[in-house]
Amino acid sequence: MKRPADLTADVAEILIPEAAIQAKVAELGSRISADFAGRELTLVSVLKGSLPFMADLMRAITIPVQIDLMEVSSYGGTATESSGLVRILKDLSSSIDGRDVLIVEDIIDTGLTLNYLVRYLRGKNPASLRICTLLNKPARRLVEIPIDYLGFEIPDQFVIGYGLDYGERYRNLRYVGVLRPEVYTSPE
Amino acid sequence: MTETRPRPAFAHASEAELARILDFYQVAWAYEPRTFPILYDHDGAVLESFSPDFYLPDLDLYVEITTLKQRLVRKKNRKLRRLRELYPDIRVKLLYARDFRALLLKYGRITLADALSGAEGQATPPRRHLRADAARPGSTPPAAKGGAEGASRDGERPSTGSGRSRARRRSRAEARARSRAGAGSPTIVTTGTEMTA
Repeated sequence: MKRPADLTADVAEILIPEAAIQAKVAELGSRISADFAGRELTLVSVLKGSLPFMADLMRAITIPVQIDLMEVSSYGGTATESSGLVRILKDLSSSIDGRDVLIVEDIIDTGLTLNYLVRYLRGKNPASLRICTLLNKPARRLVEIPIDYLGFEIPDQFVIGYGLDYGERYRNLRYVGVLRPEVYTSPE
Repeated sequence: MTETRPRPAFAHASEAELARILDFYQVAWAYEPRTFPILYDHDGAVLESFSPDFYLPDLDLYVEITTLKQRLVRKKNRKLRRLRELYPDIRVKLLYARDFRALLLKYGRITLADALSGAEGQATPPRRHLRADAARPGSTPPAAKGGAEGASRDGERPSTGSGRSRARRRSRAEARARSRAGAGSPTIVTTGTEMTA
């Protein structure tokens, strides 16, 4: 089934409107700024889904921040990979040794990727390592990871928008929506 | 991460797929390492037991996966409830068919969901495949393409495809294990991976 040009046609419902996201981002930015007052923070964003959240959150934080980007391979997206193991596709650009680090995630569901990332980053000796995620889907959790800053807890539905994709689409929606099941159950 | 032993004989293709996902993210696991007695007769003999599919030692978590339709999982739910009553310190998570589908959807493999679910996903490899895989200790099997093919490529245990026969087989295995190790003790320890991180 060919997908419509209008992305919104594939959205079953808007779960978190743009205004609610922006209000939450501002709130998180204030909390993070207060918690790290007088210190300098490195924000580590995990590509690609957390890009819009990172861009908004960093501007809501009022203390000095450095930013860095990482990309981690995903299971199922590695057909050409022989190892069958998660890989760092893009590593940090700068050292985080002795720095306060905040991982900025778009969504935590199983916790498998984040669990790997946390272990990887801990090995680089940051002074502290905390986690901020816009969305949390606890129903899907396999690996329990404490979340320091949480935007929204969401139900067990497949969500897209505000960085989240299905087949690399829908990332540019300004809200978080639920994808119509027909989209992923129908053949392309 | 290194493979330390040949992969276990998974009873179902969905278990093999979950093992591949755990391997991918370098989460150590053991396949059915422990059998929990959950029902005894008046003489203390074990009438019923439960062996969760996976144990994740670093997370101290047992995982049971079922791809049966939701209305057919009542028995498994009851066993799990009983397990939690008798062993309150045990952390166990049950992945239902819908959870497994969601996992595959997340990883862009939703088309595999039906092939790896329910009776479709039960292992039915020819024996020669088992021998071939057993001769490659430490080898990592290729990704399943679904159904029996995927199962055979993983060296899974042969099956008649009947849930009842699988239950009988498991029951016999549990009985053997109990006689070896005593009730409540680890019965099968198959460490698929070792974590290096």
